Amino acid sequence: MPGGGRCPDCGSTELVEDSHYSQSQLVCSDCGCVVTEGVLTTTFSDEGNLREVTYSRSTGENEQVSRSEQRGLRRVRDLCRVLQLPPTFEDTAVAYYQKAYRHSGIRAARLQKKEVLVGCCVLITCRQRNWPLTMGTICTLLYADLDVFSGTYMQLVKLLGLDVPSLCLAELVKTYCSSFKLFQASPSVPAKYVEDKEKMLSRTLQLVELADETWLVTGRHPLPVITAAAFLAWQSLQPSYRLSCSLARFCKSANVDLPHPASSRLQELLAVLLRMAKQLAWLQVLKLDKRSVVKHIGDLLQHRHTLVRAAFQDGMGKRPRICPTPTVSTVTGDENISDSEIEQYLRTPQEIRDFQRAQAAGQAATSVPNPP
Amino acid sequence: MDQNNSLPPYAQGLASPQGAMTPGIPIFSPMMPYGTGLTPQPIQNTSSLSILEEQQRQQQQQQQQQQHQLFHSQTLTTAPLPGATPLYPSPLTPMTPITPATPASESSGIVPQLQNIVSTVNLGCKLDLKTIALRARNAEYNPKRFAAVIMRIREPRTTALIFSSGKMVCTGAKSEEQSRLAARKYARVVQKLGFPAKFLDFKIQNMVGSCDVKFPIRLEGLVLTHQQFSSYEPELFPGLIYRMIKPRIVLLIFVSGKVVLTGAKVRAEIYEAFENIYPILKGFRKTT
Repeated sequence: MPGGGRCPDCGSTELVEDSHYSQSQLVCSDCGCVVTEGVLTTTFSDEGNLREVTYSRSTGENEQVSRSEQRGLRRVRDLCRVLQLPPTFEDTAVAYYQKAYRHSGIRAARLQKKEVLVGCCVLITCRQRNWPLTMGTICTLLYADLDVFSGTYMQLVKLLGLDVPSLCLAELVKTYCSSFKLFQASPSVPAKYVEDKEKMLSRTLQLVELADETWLVTGRHPLPVITAAAFLAWQSLQPSYRLSCSLARFCKSANVDLPHPASSRLQELLAVLLRMAKQLAWLQVLKLDKRSVVKHIGDLLQHRHTLVRAAFQDGMGKRPRICPTPTVSTVTGDENISDSEIEQYLRTPQEIRDFQRAQAAGQAATSVPNPP
Repeated sequence: MDQNNSLPPYAQGLASPQGAMTPGIPIFSPMMPYGTGLTPQPIQNTSSLSILEEQQRQQQQQQQQQQHQLFHSQTLTTAPLPGATPLYPSPLTPMTPITPATPASESSGIVPQLQNIVSTVNLGCKLDLKTIALRARNAEYNPKRFAAVIMRIREPRTTALIFSSGKMVCTGAKSEEQSRLAARKYARVVQKLGFPAKFLDFKIQNMVGSCDVKFPIRLEGLVLTHQQFSSYEPELFPGLIYRMIKPRIVLLIFVSGKVVLTGAKVRAEIYEAFENIYPILKGFRKTT
């Protein structure tokens, strides 16, 4: 650059004005020595442009994957591996997590919610591939509250506009029953309790289908129904030895948690079986009760289609309901409001004094740390 | 891929609903390209990317369909029965909406009962909640728990939340008129306590109704055919949550046949929503 400037290092006059980003500098073109540095800013407005921008307002979010998201993606993969899901599930679940993360509501959510979001993505993936994973399992694995999980799950489905199929009951029966530890003798499982897996599975499936047909499944949590059905299936395969075993004992031997509603489902299922038994002539004479009907479950299941139709012809035997006639209100909303009616809601001066005195006494009592 | 007549693989093991209506694709939608959408497509692919693509396609379809929800639920009552579904939708109707033929005899004959009305009113002056709690018999005030006075009156049996800004929420009434009368009574109480209370901008914010269709309902079937409006998760809640678009009402449908309708600003919306849902529910009535 002409004008008499010389580089202090090499003495050259070839000085070039160059900007290093927004800072103008005088640089020697021979040796590269920086002769002068301009001021970083020239005016206040320029300074304003260089003020620090918060991360959420910068474009940094879009350029890289945040640590929080990376952690979440890792958790998704870990969860898929813990559940031993097929490898393709992992990629889908990860894709859902990334998709959810694009939404600002999810990005700014609490860590607890992001943790639960991991479970939601895995659950949606499994549901779409008919893999029978229950919400209870995921909540147990994530140490999460079912309420928090349900809120996040509903929000995610709405946010991503997803169509999530219902839990596949048949698959759940197979997976859940396979987890029962009754197929080999062990210290907790006596020889008479050991059962063949295929026989028990097929009978449990038939009983669950029966429960579904007779309105015991709709609106209810599926797992207790399956537990009750598995218990009845197991009992009926060798009733002579197993009738004495209770539902609780059965779950303990099988090393499975007993869900609380399972006992009610069991009673309901037995009631259905009894109703079906009444349709069979040779069982009618036996005057069965809830215990003895178990011995005939095999026969009842064999003819279940005809028996259910016959037993429930007249609907589900609902109690005749007394419909209360709706009271017709003649209120217009503009009635006159009498003073006396309002005064019943106001305290008298004496009451106010008493109340204030009681309040003061109460406060004095609490302010004295050690009563004498 | 489409919600269509053939039962998807995941419904095996569950009894199929008898007389299920054709799934919710408006037959006369002018937006539907000629000759597509009603032929069942098998779901064969299992790669993750194609499942996501399917989701996107489904979502696009849903967005197209949702633009025509004006007569959606009524269209179903006139839709052909399964087995007689035309493969190609009629292409002739342009943008004119279809008036569904709902003869008077199809009216349900059931009237939903209003159970709760929530209304708000502005008393128009700042209030001292401590004074109100001191001088009124029917008030409770716990500032550490909630920043409002909770006041109750016996007739009409309602509860009010009174805030220090002068705004008030009145809940528990069984009709619009009762809610207005109750709000006026609360305003009068506040007036008698020495505040210059007025009665400005009374507005009904929410109305809740309930009724009983008196037959059990197959919720699994309903969520299959109306999945874009329904949410049914038995692991979370025993009822099906149906979000109707027109009118904008949320219905809770239970297997026993009881229906709860909420989100209405006027009574007519509740009645209209019930008349819309009744024919749909009748389709899922199962007579075993």
